[in-house]
Amino acid sequence: MPEMNIRLSNSCALLAYTLLVILPLWLALDRLIWVAGANPLDWYLSLEQNYVSQGVIQFTFIQALTSTLATLAIGLPIAWQLGRYKWPFQSLTKAILTMPFVMPSIVAAMGFLHIVGRAGLNIRVDDSTWFTTLIIAHAWFNMALVIRFCEPVISTLDPRLEEQMRLLPAGSSKTGRFRHLWAPLLAPSIAAAACMTFVFSFTSFALVRWITLGDNTLESVMAGIGSSAGIEGYMISRNEIVLGSSMIQFTILLLSLFLMSWLQQKRQSLLPQVSEEVVKQSNPKGWTVIGPALAFALSPLIAVFWASFRIRNTDSSGTHYTWETSGWEFAFSSSNSMTSAWDALYNSLGYATLTLIIALPLGWILAQTILDVEKDKPRFARFLDVLTMLPFAISSVMIGLGVMLGMIRIDAEFFYSFWPTPALAHVMITTPFVVRIMLPALRAIDPEYDECGRTLGISKWRRFFQIKLPLLRGSILVAVIFTLAMSLGEFGASWVVTRNSDWTTLPIMIDSLRSIPYNNSLTAPAACAVSSVLMGITLVLFTWAEKFRPSRDGGMF
Amino acid sequence: MKIFTFLVGVLILNLTISGCITDKIDDNEAKQPDEYEWVDDGELVIVTYDVYGLTDEMLENFENESGYEISLLKLDDAGSVLDHLLQHKGQQVADIAIGLDNTYLQTAIDNNVLWEHNAILQNISESALLPYDGPLAAPFDQGYICLNYDSDIVDGVNYTVPESLWELTEEVWNGKVAIPSPETSSPGRAFMTATTDYFSTDSDNETEWTDWWSAMSLNDVIITTGWSEAYETRYTGGYGEWTDGYVGDAHIVVSYCHSPGVESWYNGNWTKSAALDIPKASFHQVEYAAALEGGNLDSASAFIEYLLSPEVNSKMPIENSMYSALEGYDLPEENGYLFHSVVPSEPAVVSSTTIANNMEEWLEMWNKAMVDA
Repeated sequence: MPEMNIRLSNSCALLAYTLLVILPLWLALDRLIWVAGANPLDWYLSLEQNYVSQGVIQFTFIQALTSTLATLAIGLPIAWQLGRYKWPFQSLTKAILTMPFVMPSIVAAMGFLHIVGRAGLNIRVDDSTWFTTLIIAHAWFNMALVIRFCEPVISTLDPRLEEQMRLLPAGSSKTGRFRHLWAPLLAPSIAAAACMTFVFSFTSFALVRWITLGDNTLESVMAGIGSSAGIEGYMISRNEIVLGSSMIQFTILLLSLFLMSWLQQKRQSLLPQVSEEVVKQSNPKGWTVIGPALAFALSPLIAVFWASFRIRNTDSSGTHYTWETSGWEFAFSSSNSMTSAWDALYNSLGYATLTLIIALPLGWILAQTILDVEKDKPRFARFLDVLTMLPFAISSVMIGLGVMLGMIRIDAEFFYSFWPTPALAHVMITTPFVVRIMLPALRAIDPEYDECGRTLGISKWRRFFQIKLPLLRGSILVAVIFTLAMSLGEFGASWVVTRNSDWTTLPIMIDSLRSIPYNNSLTAPAACAVSSVLMGITLVLFTWAEKFRPSRDGGMF
Repeated sequence: MKIFTFLVGVLILNLTISGCITDKIDDNEAKQPDEYEWVDDGELVIVTYDVYGLTDEMLENFENESGYEISLLKLDDAGSVLDHLLQHKGQQVADIAIGLDNTYLQTAIDNNVLWEHNAILQNISESALLPYDGPLAAPFDQGYICLNYDSDIVDGVNYTVPESLWELTEEVWNGKVAIPSPETSSPGRAFMTATTDYFSTDSDNETEWTDWWSAMSLNDVIITTGWSEAYETRYTGGYGEWTDGYVGDAHIVVSYCHSPGVESWYNGNWTKSAALDIPKASFHQVEYAAALEGGNLDSASAFIEYLLSPEVNSKMPIENSMYSALEGYDLPEENGYLFHSVVPSEPAVVSSTTIANNMEEWLEMWNKAMVDA
């Protein structure tokens, strides 16, 4: 492409990014500070001074730490078995065990609610039951991270290294080899997985909202009180709590980002690697780990599907359950008070497509821009790098509040009648991911290919389509699928934005169905029916993504 | 360099936009229908929370009769409805708000987000007009908030039926009382309002209502965000035991004095839940429908008229589990609905003006009492 074109497209992408992503957050922050005053210490103190948010900081940290430990305890044995030994249907096994990570959290919440609750195993005792359930649900959700980060390290290490270790005094015993070989080797990967698990548990919303009782994370508190934020002279403490919460989240997420990038560099160690075919042997005993792990990964999904057909009937003889499809019929029928699942499906697919159309080119060009300016203006490139990562450090509820307050400030009436509005939040959330996926892929392309093509007199468009595009194919597809899946399952921001409108998406519909008081016996099965639909779509996307995963780099995606 | 100029430009643009929008919102004066340009667009946008009375059948009938097309914005609770109105002040997207009660209404009125409706209303009961009798809102249902207890457990043997609120601060009730938060729920707010009256008129002059709440906080009272979590998840005496999230650790809950009647209605004349008639510990709650500033005044007024027509409003006890706002329609006698419902002998008396003047301060005092305990 000629110089001029690059400049123009780069600038346009930057402008679009600023308008779509930075502006709403800016407006929201401006508004909140205008109401609450610009004193960060007050914001922070407000969290403990208000009954609604008292103890939330503590709970958020405790549950995130516990979840991280639980995730490692469950994930590491699985990663070890998967990495060290041969399994029949290897890729399928691995796909099932990593699939929870892409499942929308609201689906997981419904699954665990039904496993533990009355209609399932009925093992609820008191508040602690629900705390344990939350931790296990977080472990279910995040164990894929441990597998993705650790399994490649385990499965590709040259076995000769361990054989050599055996001959040395320090490596003669199992514990010795563990201490001197595996522990230092795996530590950065384990730390990276732990760091990401901590982040996801720290900002957990749907699971906390549905599984815990009375306990809140900073994220769920913000969601709960966000509706009264940004109003002049009204419930000022609410604004302070929102600002305080997002300030703490911002700090923690930013620290995690730095820690992650440092760990990622550490992970690229130069130990001898071999094909995993060489490393793996069979291990019949390993089924004691892999078998239960498969059951664990699948059980919430099975529970959701199963519960969608189970209808509670109460009459004079007591309560019993029957098998019916009326939950599905209820979900797909439309009425004034409840949108039909068809509408929600239409909205969800529409927003996902729209998000893709905007976020993919935007993220791609931004990644290209960072690469382009890297040579001449490394500082500016670094600035852009951070700028495109900024939304990572902002939780989805805060992004939702940004969109909501932003659109109220610009023109509420217009935005509420403008169907694409909720997609804006999805664009804000997914664009940074696209940049992260595309940047390494673009960097990996050897510029010599392009130069050779140019020397051969191939036109710029043909060079793009015949050289660059095929090289990027895998990464683009992963970005596409990831963007679609994230948009489809997005809950926090949509929950804030679409509450004031009638564009229900599938995750929001699940939430509102479950919120209908329980004397209607069809609402829970209907919520599970919609969850099953969302689950089905996600599974299809995930299976597709598994085919195109570019390399075994052990990244998140 | 070009890119950088672009960014700076955009940032400056942001600043200017945010500046002028702030000005627009600050405009605090209410515009009345005659000085506002509004058109009858043939639509009715209702902002509400889970008001069960708005059944599909009832909404469809209105659409067929009036020709207006209805869309519903359903928010979490009465508090969110008020938040929505205040947040969208000056640019309301809805035409009518349904479900603000007498503890919230005055705040909405003071903030100029309501318009005088022009519905012609007849036969509204005196009690429903007691808290507010003006043109800015029309009462559509009413009831009394009071404590309910599980009579299977609070049977006089294991637990004695409390006769005063102070009894609930005793050790036996530790962690056994569930109250929806006055900050987010309208029954919770109504109950807190009742306590301000209860403790200002009791024989004990040493203590204030906030002392009781502090004592309750120390006694591990369960405060929930909304009524449903208190009644369905925590309370042992109601239908909550059939829900998945059910915990069942509270034997006393803040609900309606006629909640046992509703239980009985759905259970074929049987309930173990009973209302507790402690003088001054109950509160008369009235829920309102109100036309919104800048909305479609015609469709809003037509809907208010419809909502208060005898055909619709007389069904409130069944469709909405609340008393009708019209004269002459009591709870039905079938299935023990009326029998198990209690009309409190001496509800708390707090005027709407007192509520409006003090609510924000009360909430702050309540918050402090709960946190500092």
